[in-house]
Amino acid sequence: MFLKQYLIPRLIQYVLVILLGITAVFFIPRLLPNDPVLRTIAEMRARGSYLEPGAMDKIISDLQQMYGLEGSWFDQYLAFWGRLFRGDLGVSFFQFPTPVLDLIMTALPWTVGLLLTTTLLSWAIGNLIGGFAGYYADRSWSRTLDAIAMVVRPLPYYIFAFALLLLFAYLLRWFPVSGGARLGMRPSWTWPFIQSVLWHSVLPALSIFILSAAVWFQTMKLVVQNVNAESFVAYAKLSGVQENRIVSRYVIRNALLPQITGLGLSLGLIFSGALITEIVYSYPGLGTLLYNAIVNGDYNLIMGITIFSIIAITTSVLIVDLMYPFFDPRIRYM
Amino acid sequence: MRRTRMLLMGLLLAASLISAACGGGPATPAATPAGSAATPAAPAPAGGTGATLSEFGDLPRHETLIVDILTGRVGSPDDFNNWVGWKWRDRGMQNLANEPLWSVDFATGKIIPGLADGDPVYNADFTALTIPLRKGVTWHDGAPFTAADVVFTVETLMKHEGFGDNSFFVENVKSVSAVDDYTVAFELKAPNSRFHTRFLDRWGCTWIMPKHIWEKVEDPVTFKFNPFIGTGPYKLHSFDPSGFWTIWEKRADWDKSPTGIMYGEPKPKYIIFRYFANEGAKILAQLTHQVDVVNVSSDGLKAVLTQCDSCRAYQLNWPYVVNNDPAQTGITFNTARAPYDNRDVRWALLLAIDIAEYMGIAVDGTGALSPVHIPSLSNYPKDFIQPMLPWLKEFTLDLGNGETFKPFDPNASQRIAEYARSRGYAVPDDPAEQAKLFGYGWYKYAPDVAEKLLLKNGFSKTSDGKWLLPDGTPWKIRCLTGTQLATGMGERNCVAAVQQWKKFGIDAEVYSSEAAASLNATGDFDVSSNWPAQEPWGAGPDLYRVLDYYNSAYVKPVGENTSGHPSRWSHPEMDAVVEKLRKTDPTNYQAVVDVGIEGLKIAVREMPGIPTFGYVGFIAWDQTYWTNWPGAENPYTQPYTHWGPFKYMTPFLQPTGTR
Repeated sequence: MFLKQYLIPRLIQYVLVILLGITAVFFIPRLLPNDPVLRTIAEMRARGSYLEPGAMDKIISDLQQMYGLEGSWFDQYLAFWGRLFRGDLGVSFFQFPTPVLDLIMTALPWTVGLLLTTTLLSWAIGNLIGGFAGYYADRSWSRTLDAIAMVVRPLPYYIFAFALLLLFAYLLRWFPVSGGARLGMRPSWTWPFIQSVLWHSVLPALSIFILSAAVWFQTMKLVVQNVNAESFVAYAKLSGVQENRIVSRYVIRNALLPQITGLGLSLGLIFSGALITEIVYSYPGLGTLLYNAIVNGDYNLIMGITIFSIIAITTSVLIVDLMYPFFDPRIRYM
Repeated sequence: MRRTRMLLMGLLLAASLISAACGGGPATPAATPAGSAATPAAPAPAGGTGATLSEFGDLPRHETLIVDILTGRVGSPDDFNNWVGWKWRDRGMQNLANEPLWSVDFATGKIIPGLADGDPVYNADFTALTIPLRKGVTWHDGAPFTAADVVFTVETLMKHEGFGDNSFFVENVKSVSAVDDYTVAFELKAPNSRFHTRFLDRWGCTWIMPKHIWEKVEDPVTFKFNPFIGTGPYKLHSFDPSGFWTIWEKRADWDKSPTGIMYGEPKPKYIIFRYFANEGAKILAQLTHQVDVVNVSSDGLKAVLTQCDSCRAYQLNWPYVVNNDPAQTGITFNTARAPYDNRDVRWALLLAIDIAEYMGIAVDGTGALSPVHIPSLSNYPKDFIQPMLPWLKEFTLDLGNGETFKPFDPNASQRIAEYARSRGYAVPDDPAEQAKLFGYGWYKYAPDVAEKLLLKNGFSKTSDGKWLLPDGTPWKIRCLTGTQLATGMGERNCVAAVQQWKKFGIDAEVYSSEAAASLNATGDFDVSSNWPAQEPWGAGPDLYRVLDYYNSAYVKPVGENTSGHPSRWSHPEMDAVVEKLRKTDPTNYQAVVDVGIEGLKIAVREMPGIPTFGYVGFIAWDQTYWTNWPGAENPYTQPYTHWGPFKYMTPFLQPTGTR
């Protein structure tokens, strides 16, 4: 019953969303006026290369051939799926001939490491504190935390991140100004490198954590205040159930459902990178890789990153959907 | 149950942190043994600059020069095959590790022979040439550099279409051979008096491959050439797989590089090219002495000079900027589209510009004006601009009805000087110094004359002063430019031009687009901030590179990619000048100058684009660790670390001894 009425249709929907998403990502960059071949030539000219005017047509056709941009869009579309099913995302145009997969796999660990940690931490701590603050909404500490969150949340991320940089990297000089690890260090499983990565990631992580936790705190507090007004909470209080048990077992657990959905989406968005964080802290990751790909009309790289992102978001939403019964026994799929 | 969840959460966090630590994904082969593993923990800082010293690992800061990468984060860090596509060669490849046959030094106006041992020698009809090569040069791995390397390079480039230079050599070279170990001979398919400039480095050229390495490679187009082996004074030490830094180390046998042979021992032991994703962080790094040389914006330079006692700019006093970069900025018209196909309209738009106001808006008065399509720097004022002044003064526009107008204003530069004084800047009184700063004149602000030119061509004006096209529709100008509106020189030109044309009564606006390069190439614009002419060499008298881009052979219809200048302008007289230049010996100085002046006169008369001011660069040098920078008071070489001749600067830098 569950299989036929829910799981199979849901899986079909999952596959369709991925197929349509990838198809859209294939065509949309081609509708932009940014031609990757002309862009490459313009970049080479702008960067001082003297391209013989008489040889320009040949250079253009050579580049089109190397980039796989010959033939109609439909031909390219078919060739693209053929490559994708073989696990080949093609080569980056702008970083030719580096394979797209290599570029993504170089940037991905940095992005996942930073964003997975900060997303989970901010979600857990923001919701936990928000839950208690919502239940004990009339306590002074709750109001203080609420006031802090109200001040922090609307701060533009760029300003907030740069303020942290100024304070901790320039004035106090506790942390480095930029980068993901020390100059001259190559990634390795050694303690000096891990230590260096952790040292460099403190400010980026802190900036994301604080702003993100403030959001989870506020939303959780509001949801909990609504749950608090439910009759089962009043009944539990009248029955003499301990307050901590009421908060953790009844109130927070009931308020958690929308937050879990939000977590699923946030985890999926990790694969889009954190562009502003990467810019402020010169942190390596997928965000600037994607931005540069868009600016340079690097179709293959745009598709490579967004395919990861589409699959991550749809998969995380699917998993959250399937896991709902574990969090809320009232939900059944049969 | 709760404990299990907590444990899972902890494991997940740990895994993610370790994942970050793993960082680089697929292991990249080490550039050199020294760069292959994590460096040991940093030694304790020896003083001075704060806790961030450990940022440099085991590299001794007092022996290390740190500069920022102009073109940004390296996208393909492990790929040094500069012969295919764009490889971020300014991360130290062109400027430290590679030596070309010749280099342009725009500060001294000289052509520096690197691997070559003098000028090329052409035959009478320019169908053959020989190039003498420098003796005593070795590659980074100790193998000797000989004519065989040059022959191998050209033959390899001709064999594989994937190389960017393939079509040039296939079209030009009949044969290449080694006369002896230090002489190369070319036979060409057709006369080409500028063939050798393919090897002349002006921010890029054809580099020579080490034959003993490349001859063993199966597919040279996809070969990554890692580690890079060149003949320059620095060799690859290590690089970041994410493209944020590249470290170069002085060769032990530096005296086997052309740099060492010509200028002596380079002083820094290590040079780091480092990327900053935002200017704020770059400035903070310089203020904390974590980077010695930065390329910044105008405001960034002001911030550095205000906050940093040990920092200096190219010029010690206002305007501080680098004003001898060999690029002429300005405005380009799409002459394939009406009404910009009309010379009178182009001149009218020029005369509607008050250049003093324009310069104030664009660059706060810091650039040098040029009335012709080459910048006012290096040998160009002496060879071209000053000799053209009498002609410019007499140059006349026909306004119709027998009325004429002489547009040149030899005092335009003084108007910029007055603007600068009004801003409180210290402007020198010496006319020669003023000319260096502001140029040798420009054109008059004559909106009344502009109006006459437009009325003569059927334009009209509404009662509220707005211009209408000859067909009676409102005249709208969208000035196509890039996205760096606050800092880009092209963008600043569009911003200033739009202000001027609005004041004149045209509905003008800036059209800022990431796709500007593509739109310029296909001619999908009316007016753009593309340079109004191809950049000149920056040294020597030859303007072939500038004028040939106007060749009618390269003009394509709108919608097709242009091979020549985006203005799509051409003229039979210019074609004749280009042809004459092709037949002129490039080493015959005065003959080349004379033909160049002929071409510049045609460009001024037809005005396919408006030349305004020379490119303005903003660099800041921190003198905590290194001094004797080639500033305006001592321009022993060009000042940029991203240009090829940076390597020729390294023997002259002086360590301060600060640790």
